[in-house]
Amino acid sequence: MIAHQAEAVVLRTWPLHEADQIVSLFTRDQGKIKGVAKAAMKSRRRFGGALEPMTYVRASYAEKPKQELVRLDSCEILSSPLSHPVDYVRAAVLAFFSEVLEDTLPDHDPQETVFRLLLAVLEYTRVEQPWMPLTYFALWVTRLMGWLPDLSRCVFCSVPLTGAAAFFHSQANGLFCAQHKHGGYSQLSFDSHALALRVFRSPISALVTEPWPRNRAVDLRRFALRSLERNMERKLTTAAVLSRLGG
Amino acid sequence: MSRFAEPMSRLIEELKKLPGIGAKNAQRLAFHILRSSADDARALADAVRELKEKLRLCSICNNITDVDPCVYCASPTRNQRLVCVVEEPTNISSVEKTRSYNGVYHVLHGTLSPLHGVGPEDLRIGNLLLRVQASEVDEVILATNPTVEGEATAVYLADLLRSAQVKITRIATGVPAGSDIEYADEVTMARAMEGRHEV
Ligand SMILES: [Zn+2]
Ligand SMILES: [Zn+2]
Repeated sequence: MIAHQAEAVVLRTWPLHEADQIVSLFTRDQGKIKGVAKAAMKSRRRFGGALEPMTYVRASYAEKPKQELVRLDSCEILSSPLSHPVDYVRAAVLAFFSEVLEDTLPDHDPQETVFRLLLAVLEYTRVEQPWMPLTYFALWVTRLMGWLPDLSRCVFCSVPLTGAAAFFHSQANGLFCAQHKHGGYSQLSFDSHALALRVFRSPISALVTEPWPRNRAVDLRRFALRSLERNMERKLTTAAVLSRLGG
Repeated sequence: MSRFAEPMSRLIEELKKLPGIGAKNAQRLAFHILRSSADDARALADAVRELKEKLRLCSICNNITDVDPCVYCASPTRNQRLVCVVEEPTNISSVEKTRSYNGVYHVLHGTLSPLHGVGPEDLRIGNLLLRVQASEVDEVILATNPTVEGEATAVYLADLLRSAQVKITRIATGVPAGSDIEYADEVTMARAMEGRHEV
């Protein structure tokens, strides 16, 4: 038995037997791991609200040889999504982070950059400002998974798209110039294209100061979510909810 | 081909559908039923059948009941103008344990759950709105769980009810954040109810 302590974000939980839970943790050092939290539903002393998805915790767990599931002994909350007001949209954005990471992260493979991205978006995902962190996360995670080409050039001919019209298609990666778009392509608005380029140059803290109402950069959000879904090769339940809520 | 006779494998298949029952346990239970007396086996079958035939949802509050309206909604000694909104029928007993609540209930049968694709249209909200709009209610206590989904549901309902002439309160966080009120002890739950605040 090897005892560990790790910084982690709770991704998801599933009930197991009467009062136990299986917990998926995204740890900083070891990537995604799964563990069993015994009596988690009842033992407030050990887990309290720490197993709520998207809680940033310091987890203590024990690894048993030849066993896939670790034994989760305790979780100390470093930052909880419940320490700020919650509404349906914020809950849906947080659930989107959970669903995407649970599905895309490989087991036992540290992903330090993704981990830092997650902490950053969690800090800024607020009731007043849910759409920007969502778009920021969706674009970045697609890039970090290696699925998103350079958005400053046409993926077909590499001509720079800055100051020019950029087009996208729900079945293709990246952006296209006016010459290489075909039927069924949509134009990404100038504001959205500029924002997309800034997302990859700026920390999220630089973007939160701007107002980002629901109807800002809807096309960019749609582009980001579609890119992610297409490359994940599945429809995300939370993306459907977010489309309903935000267009 | 199954290694059991047809009636046996049929029972095993049905038992396996129950939560927490795997193939091994299903076999054990099936053999136990086979060995038990005909009366015991019939009593079990009747209990299962009657559960589905006799139990339904209360048309006023959605609680599970064998009489409609349920005992709470039909009670002349309970304050029918005070409504406590809970996620599941099992949550009612947590509030009842406090022995200090004398109002009635409304059961949503779920929470908004983006991860499971559960939206407002999947919750039982309609008859609560009707009650409130008909001015039959003075106060709605939102006692959904102190989780992200429970909070989101409470805020959603508060917004929905805001236009009506009704006091809307949320239970205090005496119930630890992220937990399930089903497991809150009676003292914690009583404090949460007493400390409720207007939203
Ligand atoms: Zn081109
Ligand atoms: Zn009732």
